[in-house]
Amino acid sequence: MKTSKLTSSGPRSWSDLVPLQVLVPILSTVVALGIGLLIIAATGGSVTEAIEAFWDGMAGSDYNIGASLNRAISLGLVGLGFIFANRANLTNVGGEGQLAIGGMIATAVALHGAGSLPFGLAFLVPLAAGAIAGGVWGGLAGFLKAKRGTNEVISTLLLSFIALPIVYWSVESFHLLRKPITDLSSLPESPEIPDPTKLPLLFPDNGSPLHIGLLLAVLAVVVVWLVLKHSTLGLRLKAVGLNETASRRAGLRTSFYIILAMVVSGGLGGLGGAIMILGQQFYLTSDFSSGYGFDGLVVGLLSRGSAVGVVIGALLFGFLRSGSINMEITAHVPSAVVLICQGLIVIFIAGSAIFTNRKANR
Amino acid sequence: MIDEQMAVFIGSGLRLAVPIIFAATGEMLSERAGVLNLSLDGMMLMSAFAAALASWVTGSPLIGVLVGVLVATSVAAVQAFLSVTLRANQLVVGIGFNILALGATTFLYREIFGPLSRDPIPGFAQLNLPWLASIPVIGPALSNQTGLAYVSIIMVVVTWLLLKYTSFGLAVRAVGEDPRAADKAGINVARTRYLGVLYAGALAGLGGAFMSVADSNTFTENMTKGAGYLAITAVIFGGWNPWYTLGACLLFGFATALQFLVPALQLDVPVALLLLLPYLLALIAIAGLVGKSRQPAALTLPFERGG
Repeated sequence: MKTSKLTSSGPRSWSDLVPLQVLVPILSTVVALGIGLLIIAATGGSVTEAIEAFWDGMAGSDYNIGASLNRAISLGLVGLGFIFANRANLTNVGGEGQLAIGGMIATAVALHGAGSLPFGLAFLVPLAAGAIAGGVWGGLAGFLKAKRGTNEVISTLLLSFIALPIVYWSVESFHLLRKPITDLSSLPESPEIPDPTKLPLLFPDNGSPLHIGLLLAVLAVVVVWLVLKHSTLGLRLKAVGLNETASRRAGLRTSFYIILAMVVSGGLGGLGGAIMILGQQFYLTSDFSSGYGFDGLVVGLLSRGSAVGVVIGALLFGFLRSGSINMEITAHVPSAVVLICQGLIVIFIAGSAIFTNRKANR
Repeated sequence: MIDEQMAVFIGSGLRLAVPIIFAATGEMLSERAGVLNLSLDGMMLMSAFAAALASWVTGSPLIGVLVGVLVATSVAAVQAFLSVTLRANQLVVGIGFNILALGATTFLYREIFGPLSRDPIPGFAQLNLPWLASIPVIGPALSNQTGLAYVSIIMVVVTWLLLKYTSFGLAVRAVGEDPRAADKAGINVARTRYLGVLYAGALAGLGGAFMSVADSNTFTENMTKGAGYLAITAVIFGGWNPWYTLGACLLFGFATALQFLVPALQLDVPVALLLLLPYLLALIAIAGLVGKSRQPAALTLPFERGG
């Protein structure tokens, strides 16, 4: 529309004071949650009870707040990975697989040797191994893109569906990560990782499960923000993304930057997976990453390339997930209602991008 | 003994392939027009549920299929509005719909079927065509299928004819390769893409309905288990060609069925490796390591007139 160009030089309207980029996500969330409440009411559930249980699950106690934040950490890391690759105009939809592979390798390293390392290396080494594994998984797609021109949307999606059966295989096979069958349990899962490899808690005294993964995630947010907004590397990634041919002519090694962007992107996802295992789950199951990668992808997509946006989205989805689990347990409202809300939030925000982009681009 | 196992294997391979054939064939046409429906899995799941519900209420599996197709096509209409008219990111919208479909079907299933979930729903009978059954080895497997399974092959033929010999097919291909040029040539890009997405929705609906009404006679939570993604993978592996896509779907169906055959034959092959086989094959194909597979040039790119 031409009108937006005209108004930009004219007097500021109310929508300039509350930018659409902020308004739309908030409205989308409110409307989606409202629909969720209507569904609960329409099917004869107690709305007040559901809200209470939901709130309690999200933030009702130190434990619940910690658990919600822990969820947000991994979602945020996948989201950060997404915006990092996206700076080079690459769309990494393979967060689910990078998370899964990172978690699996971190478990393997934690179980086989890392437990006896000193000075916190016991958990740092498995974290690093998970990040590297995720980086390799993402880098594979970057390599195919740079060397063979393979569309990274498709290759990262396929790599996700290749990663999930590999994790399943690793917990199904006794010669890989599966724990020996005992009288008590024969579930296909890994043994519990040794105590020294578990991430130290930030507040060990108040029962909160919040662990130092939070500090790592905050660090990652700052680093990604600095690199993307205020570094030569960020500029080069952007240049490669905008025009690969021109960048190559200008002397940039474009394949290097494409592969690097995907390695870092996948590495952040792998770190997210490693943190899930070392921080709260402590043993590997075949579906430990179930949905987190896709939720993290959505967090990244909705953030519009902003690290701050990733933080907000990760918190929203992390708290929603925690609330929904408690709502199902105590108020007997199926957590599927929250899935409906999440889906609606995503669709609303994506659908309104045409209006908010227009504002941003003028 | 081995013959019997082979017959079971071929039969289950075909049954597993049918919903993917439906969904992949429709998706192939939509992608040729430039729209990728990551929501395919959600469409199938919605249809599987709607078909099960309608069949259970009316006692007619045929009405079940019709309702399933209607529901999936409605989802496709919203997807088309978002990704064509509003030019929303096709991947985000698709993932949003998949989350929504999983939530909605799981919730409604528990609300409606909850206590009755053990009841089988009315489904189609197998046709048992005698002239097909007389073919050695594969005959019994081919004839022990419901009518809907044969419809999937008919849809492949229809889609192939549509793409290759009609003006609509020409428009689809033009719009998927170079929408700007197509627009200049007088083709209505938005209309063509809408029709492509609706077509994908209708066929995904048939695939989803097949799962609940024709194959298992029941609905279970998340019963598609990623079949929609497998269909998208088959389109890639099939190089956006209807016949190769059909071949890919059959291959994936049999690869999935192998997980039942391998333990029966007491072979020591990890089931997980069979599960990842289709995706690995597709990755190898798309990486150009074997053969040549090129996607439509304008795939996932929105089009704005005069922009």
